Amino acid sequence: MSADEIVKPPKIAATEQMKQLITNYYIEAKTTKEKPICWITSGGPVEFLIAMGVIPVYPENHGAMCGAAKIAPGLAEVAEGMGFSPDLCSYARLDIGGAVTQGGAIPGGLPKPDFLLCCNNICGTVMKWYEELSRIFDVPMFLMDTPFIHGSKPEHATEYVRQQCVELIAFLEEQTGKKWSDDRFTEVALLSVQGVDLWKEVLKTAESRPSPFTCFDAFIHMAPIVTLRGTQEVVDYYTLLRDEMRERVANGIGAVANEKYRLIWDNIPIWYEMRNLSNLFASNNACLVADTYTTAWAVDIRIEDPLTSMADAYTKVYLNISIDIMLEQLIGLIERYSADGLVMHSNRSCKPYSLGQYDLARAVTERTGKPALIIEADMTDSRVYSEAQARERVEAFIESL
Amino acid sequence: MPSGALDRLMKLRDDPYAMARSWKERTGSKVLGFFCCYAPEEMMHAAGALPVRITGENRDISKSAAHLQSYCCSLARTGLDMALDGTLSFLDGTVFVHTCDTMQRLSDIWRLNAGFAVHADIIIPVRFETDSAWAYMIAELSSFKEKLSEFLGPIDDAAIIESIRLYNKNRALLSEVYDLRRANPEVLPYDQALWIVASSALMEKSEHNALVEEILSDLKEAPSPATDDRVPLFGIGSVMDQWEFLKMVEESGATFIDDDFCDGRRYFDTLAREDLPPVEAIAHRLWDRKTCPCKHAPSKERAKCIVEEAKASGAKGAIFFQFKFCEPHAFDYPHVKKALDAAQIPSLNLEIEQGSVSIEQMRTRVSALVETIKS
Repeated sequence: MSADEIVKPPKIAATEQMKQLITNYYIEAKTTKEKPICWITSGGPVEFLIAMGVIPVYPENHGAMCGAAKIAPGLAEVAEGMGFSPDLCSYARLDIGGAVTQGGAIPGGLPKPDFLLCCNNICGTVMKWYEELSRIFDVPMFLMDTPFIHGSKPEHATEYVRQQCVELIAFLEEQTGKKWSDDRFTEVALLSVQGVDLWKEVLKTAESRPSPFTCFDAFIHMAPIVTLRGTQEVVDYYTLLRDEMRERVANGIGAVANEKYRLIWDNIPIWYEMRNLSNLFASNNACLVADTYTTAWAVDIRIEDPLTSMADAYTKVYLNISIDIMLEQLIGLIERYSADGLVMHSNRSCKPYSLGQYDLARAVTERTGKPALIIEADMTDSRVYSEAQARERVEAFIESL
Repeated sequence: MPSGALDRLMKLRDDPYAMARSWKERTGSKVLGFFCCYAPEEMMHAAGALPVRITGENRDISKSAAHLQSYCCSLARTGLDMALDGTLSFLDGTVFVHTCDTMQRLSDIWRLNAGFAVHADIIIPVRFETDSAWAYMIAELSSFKEKLSEFLGPIDDAAIIESIRLYNKNRALLSEVYDLRRANPEVLPYDQALWIVASSALMEKSEHNALVEEILSDLKEAPSPATDDRVPLFGIGSVMDQWEFLKMVEESGATFIDDDFCDGRRYFDTLAREDLPPVEAIAHRLWDRKTCPCKHAPSKERAKCIVEEAKASGAKGAIFFQFKFCEPHAFDYPHVKKALDAAQIPSLNLEIEQGSVSIEQMRTRVSALVETIKS
């Protein structure tokens, strides 16, 4: 069956609400006169910003939008012209290019930051990237340093991060001129937990056969949990999405018409290739039911001791742990979602995600007997990607299942 | 009469781990490898082990290609290759210090595949300025000391202080070598001066101290050479191990007068305080040293520090010498270059991968830089 002949499942109705939510969010961020803007990394503790009435802006989310809109290479070239190597993370390059040209997927570019919050739990790259942003915009930067976990996490690492939460509060008070409120923070943390729990419930519906959505849908619908967790809107939105997915499950509606193979995706999406890949897998009756990327936002926060539990949760994220711990989580996903194989995007832009994949792929097959496919690409820089080669490899892989 | 110490040391360049291997044979003690120069070598030394630095080498990749993608730096790829093909079989273990994303993952891959008896990670903080980071640094180094003693037996504080003294002496000697060259680079080709520093991390420190003392006394006794008229350059990067490149720079009418390489000045810069408890003394030195781009220390802003150092050294130009795919250095490049431009220090950016270095291609670019400076 060719890609044109795919039987398309009904569109996810909640998509419209999500689009509205994200549009409203960007409109507010672009037009606000009184609320400060803080650029934050995707793994950063946004709850602190929400509690202080600060609007968080995510260059990585914008990077994904630019990737999907296929305007990333042009922006990246601006940064390359400034002397940034084309081997650097493409999110960083396109963001720096966007920052100096006020360009990007949003008219006039992202709203300028008043300050920056960088958390290195996803990579060391963000620190270098945000140091550059701090110079470009001449604004202060707070670095939250979350020690990498190779085996078990020592007590002093949690204490260090908890202490930085306290320092972050002082930083935000200074930047906003507002007083910190523990009560407001608890409220936000509760909403965040609620939102995260709902998101987990959404992801859980894909355990059903057929799966009501694919990870390509999850990549799109994750935007609110990344950018706006800690707000009521997110809770409302994911309640809606979860109910819709549960209804699909109840009615036996699958995202892939003839779901035959169930696969797990690893790494950041290839944003410019989402539609093609989605069609390619669907036309081969393969459904990507879960991934290691969207689950990264499923952190736990304990309300009794929000700072310590946040310090703990933000340090333990998927990209801040060693590959043997990642392996256990990958195997867990394969088992929980009854998957037949693993598709790994070896992403030139992301070393913490990609280095180690060769070992992981072998270990997964050894432990579960499920095969793994590795696709070499980049999350937004289409200049290093070969569509024909990827297609050939995916088709051969599915055939082998 | 010259002692021949320099010749002996230069021979080691053909077989960098020869002395570590013979030390092990002689003493029967443990050898621990490490990549990053933030490794607390004094602690390993005090525990009776020999810390030896691994910096990859010029070689074609064979075994590590199954573990590391081609978009990973050659330092990691050739280093792992050396571990997997037995080149590093004299090691009893490896100590990884938190540096960059690549080293972080290399540590995992190394632990699971290289097969050494001991593997330790030291996750020193990335923030190098706050009280909480300092407290964490002390706790992490103390915990490394515990781990080390599980493997090597109890480590006496007095022994660490002894090692700190020995290492400080080495730092002072290396500093003297660099000072002599700053006064007149004609006393010693730069590739040899840099090797004197780099080789320090490849043998027992007391042996190295003895060699450097002899070399220094030879240099001081030798008739002073004519004043140099070559263009003095400042080197910027992480590990510099391309000796043929350095010779080519000297053939092109220039020489490095000083550097910011982590197997150059950054290896010996700053003494550890001998009046503090040992863990704090080591922590202080790491904290106070010239920073690596992997560390966040706004008060020691790197571009500013590099420009100051370059000016102080009398350099008239600078060369960035970077490993391809090295993110921390590549991110800093545009900003540091801009600062050098503002200080009217012209610079050149060279990117290499160990094992595929084209000296001739770089020669043209180096000559062009030298001409620009001269005119």
